[in-house]
Amino acid sequence: MALLEVIGLTKRFGDRTVLKGIDFSLEEGDTKVIMGPSGCGKSTLLRCLNRLIEPDGGQILFRSEDVTRADTDVRLLRQRIGFVFQQFALYRHLTALENVTLALRKLKGMSSRDADAKALLELRRMDMEEHRAKYPAQLSGGQKQRVAIARALAMDPAVLFFDEPTSALDPEMSREVVALINRLRYEGVTMLCVTHDVSLARYVTAQVIFMDAGEIRAEDEPERLLSGHHDPRIREFFGNLGHADA
Amino acid sequence: MIPESVNSSAIWVMPMLELLGFWRDLVAYGPQLVEGLRKTLVLAGSVSVSGLLGGILVFGLTLSQQPAVRRITEAWVSFFIGMPLLVLLFLVYYGLPQWGIRLSPFAVAFWGFTLNVSAYNARYLATAYRSLDAAELEAAHAQGFGASQIFLWIILPQVLRLSVPALTNQVILNLKDSSIAFLIQYTEFFAQVQELAAQNFRFFQAYVLAGLVYLALVSVIVLAARRLEARIILPGLER
Ligand SMILES: Nc1ncnc2c1ncn2[C@@H]1O[C@H](COP(=O)(O)OP(=O)(O)OP(=O)(O)O)[C@@H](O)[C@H]1O
Ligand SMILES: [Mg+2]
Repeated sequence: MALLEVIGLTKRFGDRTVLKGIDFSLEEGDTKVIMGPSGCGKSTLLRCLNRLIEPDGGQILFRSEDVTRADTDVRLLRQRIGFVFQQFALYRHLTALENVTLALRKLKGMSSRDADAKALLELRRMDMEEHRAKYPAQLSGGQKQRVAIARALAMDPAVLFFDEPTSALDPEMSREVVALINRLRYEGVTMLCVTHDVSLARYVTAQVIFMDAGEIRAEDEPERLLSGHHDPRIREFFGNLGHADA
Repeated sequence: MIPESVNSSAIWVMPMLELLGFWRDLVAYGPQLVEGLRKTLVLAGSVSVSGLLGGILVFGLTLSQQPAVRRITEAWVSFFIGMPLLVLLFLVYYGLPQWGIRLSPFAVAFWGFTLNVSAYNARYLATAYRSLDAAELEAAHAQGFGASQIFLWIILPQVLRLSVPALTNQVILNLKDSSIAFLIQYTEFFAQVQELAAQNFRFFQAYVLAGLVYLALVSVIVLAARRLEARIILPGLER
């Protein structure tokens, strides 16, 4: 069954159409990677899906329920979508543990004890348990991103969104986070991941959605897109990335 | 040798007598001074609390989703920052009775200071808010927090921390500025010092005494503020 089905999604900023009718679906337990040139609308798409940005047209079916309707409980929808950002976006005034427990206590109404237990479990899963008492400023970029993933997972979301989770990390930490995402994939976590990182798409071997200028230009296996694609735009894009990688 | 020692003792005798006389007046006038000091502390203390709470409230309103609320709040803040406190106090204390509204000196001072101080505190908090990480706030929305929850759990703990130096500075200003309340018949410490000086014409000594007392109180606030800052600083962000 499709967890997420997006039909003809459009978004304009002023007179600029940033999303020109996006169609795709994401199955339960599946992972898809979204790639495409800077400014093509990837972040806007993710933010429309949890309505951080209001889409102008089209439909988003979340477990068959249209969540673009005006009477949708947007906050409940967001609680079911874990969001991991490029810049980690941890709450600076809270420890790693508190970053994870805040939503458990305030949104799920868990007691401090239950929230702590759940948060420790998620931190352990991310190999961050020993850093639970540290503040974000005391953590490395890779550690921050792992806390951010633990924070998202703790809410038991139906799906995890990533917006360039490795772009702010050095190559080594980036590999660590990619390995983590891959592990989550094998644990059956449903994920949608925007990235510029070809190695992420390759390693996680997820279906890749290629976006260009507000449209989905292709959706295929990474290997089929990465070399010698018949579409010159796609060849050009991955060719450039390939050179940048080397 | 002898004339010199006579000379030097003569130099010392007069000021000693002077000081003794001032000391005698001080003891005699002590209860009024203590009462004045109490009223100073009551005014400065209460407006520091109400000004902080008011400042948080006004700051919260400047973040409202309603553009009209935001604009009105901004105008409110600008008005009370622009309006000299003394003019405000005079307007209410000497102006309103013309329309039959008579308030006690304390009530006028309390509300005048509260409006003024909360406007300033709201500005300090708003300045700190601008240095927050927008991504953090977006993450909070993405987690499903509502606006008031984000204000309470994410914004307020951070802006209060960042504003501690400005907010404690404001407490010092409250203490010092409370002396202008004597101009609307609130008999706080400085008003009593004036009384004392007017009785014995030892103005110099009286004002030195007033200065020293304010200085001592300010030092207490400064020390308390330092301890507070040290306690709330976030690990990894120390300078
Ligand atoms: N709030 C906004 N107001 C106006 N224009 C916006 C807004 N947000 C994004 N845009 C524009 O929409 C387009 C798509 O932006 P978006 O951030 O979705 O691109 P992206 O694919 O995520 O790019 P990148 O790879 O650089 O992150 C860009 O041209 C951007 O300038
Ligand atoms: Mg982006």
